[in-house]
Amino acid sequence: MAFPPEGTRYILPEEAQARAGVVGLLGDLYDAWGYRLVEVPALERYHPDHPRVGQSFKLSDRDSGVLALRSDFTPALAGLVRTHYPRVAAGEEEEVAPLRLRYADKTWQAIDPDVARTREFTQVGVELIGVSNARADTELIHLARESVRAVGLVPRVEIGNPAFVRALLDLAAVPQSGRGELADAIDRKDRSTLVALLADLAPPKDVAAALFEVPDLYGDVSVLEEARRVAPWPPALAELERLQAILGEFEDDSELLLDLGTARRLSYYTGVTFRAYTFDYGQPLLGGGRYDGALLPWAAGFTIGLERLLSAVPDRSEGAPVLVLSLDDVGARILRAAGYGVMRSLTTDVEAARQEARRQGIPYLLTEVELEPLEEAGSGLAELRRVLEEGRG
Amino acid sequence: MARAFEVLRQAGLQLERSVEARALRYDAGGVMVIEVRNSDIPTYVGLGVADAGIVGKDVLLESGSHLYEPVDLGFAACRLSLIRPRGAAGALRRVASKYPRLTAGYLRRVGSSAEVVRLSGNVELACLTGLADAVVDIVETGGTLRANELEEVAVVLRSSARLVVNRAALKLKARRLRPLIVALREVCRRAAD
Repeated sequence: MAFPPEGTRYILPEEAQARAGVVGLLGDLYDAWGYRLVEVPALERYHPDHPRVGQSFKLSDRDSGVLALRSDFTPALAGLVRTHYPRVAAGEEEEVAPLRLRYADKTWQAIDPDVARTREFTQVGVELIGVSNARADTELIHLARESVRAVGLVPRVEIGNPAFVRALLDLAAVPQSGRGELADAIDRKDRSTLVALLADLAPPKDVAAALFEVPDLYGDVSVLEEARRVAPWPPALAELERLQAILGEFEDDSELLLDLGTARRLSYYTGVTFRAYTFDYGQPLLGGGRYDGALLPWAAGFTIGLERLLSAVPDRSEGAPVLVLSLDDVGARILRAAGYGVMRSLTTDVEAARQEARRQGIPYLLTEVELEPLEEAGSGLAELRRVLEEGRG
Repeated sequence: MARAFEVLRQAGLQLERSVEARALRYDAGGVMVIEVRNSDIPTYVGLGVADAGIVGKDVLLESGSHLYEPVDLGFAACRLSLIRPRGAAGALRRVASKYPRLTAGYLRRVGSSAEVVRLSGNVELACLTGLADAVVDIVETGGTLRANELEEVAVVLRSSARLVVNRAALKLKARRLRPLIVALREVCRRAAD
């Protein structure tokens, strides 16, 4: 048997339909908020500065150049903007309208298949480019929340601001070389490692005390008040103010959570970041944030992993099942126009068609003379006949 | 395992463990407690099947999981060390370990290009039989090393038991988990006094 390469798989009709349904649902949502669909090449030029350079599949081009399979949409869309919207890419925030773009397609990550079984993902997401303010951040958080609701789940969106921890590391005069480890320990809420690292660095006592408290600064919006008490220095307060401004935009902040210990995210995030969760599902459904100055002057967005989102959604049957097997193309057209699923019989013999319907599990057979219920037929016969009669006039 | 049950009891969980019953799951007053192999804990907690777990820092780092670890429980303290036959001084060519990821990371840090071999048990034997010229393994008292004429050359990592918590669970089930974290920190503080 020929299975596809490790970390990839065939997707059979039922699942493919469920996936397309969710992609469609999200697309409609983003369209309604003014985000427009774009496509970017799956083949990219290999670049050693790409944020996921270690995780991308590389391919050799005919002329010995190196290509990479798309591993992340955010840098790919930044490329599209630099090429086709140079004024937005130049950061002319005042003169040009911001771009609202969306995407839905596959990405590939060359991760160890023992660690993660999937190496081919479908990502659905949006980017809001050319603007940087609390209102823009709020719009994305709104949309993240709506995305989770759209698939019937109850959202909780957690907001963080890694710049808050960065401000404290500045105040503690932590050298660049020691920052990664320290930010990592804070992000993991690993207080014992944090204490050991701080003991080596010996920062000012009050800043060390604040850094020790930061991992526990998570919860509802009241956390901001506590943070102001723990870190009452202007650079840190300014970062808390940014979060306050976002929260102030929400008429109802009950579905929002804060974690001021968020310190370690993808390398390109520079500002406010967020993740969406739902109950009884142990992993984030989406993640995003602001990456001003990293790939573009002003930009933020989020990405949903379709596979993960679907695994959080309770099973449900998707799409219209085929209800009728047809030998009558005119009648079939009438039923399809009314929203019923109708499959065309591959035979013209009525008895053979009956057997075909039974093999396919289809409850009705439509011939040119009548609509015939087979053994498993449900109660919808009268309604189907009415639709047919009306359609035939 | 016994210590883990004990600290959870001290932190207020109604938990009785019966060794004879061979139970895999215990109901501790609204909390389900499960017993799994230590190297499986990062998987259970990472995927959110378990909201929280107790596991050694060594196993946690070897798993590469990025979980919250809000409490250092202090017990099961040990060190992961590079061990060689006494007096050995040649360059490292092959190092055996139950911790291949941590071993490879350590060798990279010290600039060695030695090959790493993954073993499942009695790792010291690799040194004694010539399979490898060093091993990276847990040292608790050093008794095994002395009995086999091995010596601890460098400490790779100091480990102890940690409370690990799933990222989503800590946020969405804070009302249950935060009091547990506070209680466990208090248990540890009292134990340290």
